[in-house]
Amino acid sequence: MEGIVLALFVCLVLALLSKYLSVPAIPFYILAGVVLGKAGLGLVTSSDISSYIADMGLIFLLFFMGLGIRIDRIAANRAAVLMSGIIDLNVNMLIGFAAAYLLGFSLEESLVIAAAFYISSTAMAVTSLVENRKLMMRESETIVWLMVFEDLVLIIVLALVTAGDQNLIVFAAKILFVLAILYALAHYGKEFLISILDRNDELPIIFTFAAVLITASFAMYLGIPDTLMVIALGAAFATTDPDAFEQHARPFKDVFLVIFFVFFGVTIDLSGGLNWYVIGVICGLAVASKLISGLLTGICIHGSALSGLEIWANTISRGEFSIALAVLYGSPPVAAAIAAMVIVTSIIGAFIAKYATHLRHGIVHLGRRSGPPRRANIRL
Amino acid sequence: MALRSLNLPGVGTKYEFETDKGDIVAIFFTKSGSIQMYTLQKGCRTPSAAELTPVEARRLGNILTGAIIEADQESVEVAFSALADLRITIHTYLVPESIAGKTIEDLRIRAKTGATVIAVCRKDRNNINPPPSFVFEAGDAVLVIGETDQLKLFEHEIMVA
Repeated sequence: MEGIVLALFVCLVLALLSKYLSVPAIPFYILAGVVLGKAGLGLVTSSDISSYIADMGLIFLLFFMGLGIRIDRIAANRAAVLMSGIIDLNVNMLIGFAAAYLLGFSLEESLVIAAAFYISSTAMAVTSLVENRKLMMRESETIVWLMVFEDLVLIIVLALVTAGDQNLIVFAAKILFVLAILYALAHYGKEFLISILDRNDELPIIFTFAAVLITASFAMYLGIPDTLMVIALGAAFATTDPDAFEQHARPFKDVFLVIFFVFFGVTIDLSGGLNWYVIGVICGLAVASKLISGLLTGICIHGSALSGLEIWANTISRGEFSIALAVLYGSPPVAAAIAAMVIVTSIIGAFIAKYATHLRHGIVHLGRRSGPPRRANIRL
Repeated sequence: MALRSLNLPGVGTKYEFETDKGDIVAIFFTKSGSIQMYTLQKGCRTPSAAELTPVEARRLGNILTGAIIEADQESVEVAFSALADLRITIHTYLVPESIAGKTIEDLRIRAKTGATVIAVCRKDRNNINPPPSFVFEAGDAVLVIGETDQLKLFEHEIMVA
């Protein structure tokens, strides 16, 4: 228990610091965990309690993600979601997979690294757009839909990985069964749910907490992934009053997720030694491959490579979902590589996003100076 | 003038508005509760932005509806669509030296303008529904209710006279 308190205190100080410097807090939580934990000073060790709270952090993160999935809205924006999403998926998954496999990871490990390599941090992208006052840019819409597409891919990855070693028909039947229950509840119980959420007492918050945990336990009891089912619960609840659910689930998510990040850091095992070469290559490629996919997206959707630069700047950061994949499926070396990638890309990403406008102006300026033939190629 | 609204998942709601002259104003209500306002002049590439709290945004809204005459005077117009589109305005004014020491009755506010003083705020204390014998002091903030024309009369006849 003292370990959790110490970790929380350190994170509180780091959170204050990161807000003051306006950089993302996630890399600092992980670093704090590494320093305090197994690989560092050994002051904090993970216990049953800490891993339970960390699990809840993950579950609430995924529930929150589910709340953001509005199938009707996604369907209405199909074209925007698909085009940029498919470029992003292909470029980054392929580069991530090839890099991991060539660096000597096994096939399975390479797949986990590829998925973590591909998925940008939604939280950091959105914060960066809001804090750097980029919301009005036309690219910001593309970025936001890109994040939605990545969420959808994550769901598919979760389903595929867990379905691997089960009887597929039974597995699918179980999932469909729970999905049917969830959607029936959200559909027929809509007025009841809304009447609960409208109350001013402790009921809405207890209900939200209980609904998430019950769904997760029920899924585990049936032997289907709780991660998938809490996303489905979120998506089902999103058809009622998602804002109210977000408001009631936010405190749990915010606190438990900090524990989740810091204990991810604590459990990182560096006894096998740090392979700086592997980490350097993965981090470098992680920044570069988003540049390639960003430029392609910018050219295909906005007809401008400079737009692509802006997309790149705001999607470099990998974060919460990459860590989730590392926690769920990563072996120790994979977890260490993903941790390093998240720390490096989120810090680089924060700075590039802040100075993207200068970068853009600088490039336009250079383009102008280098004479008329190139000028024709540059469109804003 | 075309207004379009759009929901950005995870970010909030966007309202974008293009003026007849081609300038663009965009407002974002973010999930965190703050409001960002962007303006983009026609032909310009980088917008300028301002971040507002909800209170600041409402104040800006009041200014844009044209109701505010001075910075510390503001007004709210309420329209009741069920009552033949009845429009009632509530306006605050600061009492000038010229009417200090006079009562509501002396000034014949109701008879001259049709507007009604419904509250007076003096040094952070509120007097709701002041009686006709209420004596104004310089610096009082008065809250007056009436139709727009009645308030204009109030402003010209009582506040300036």
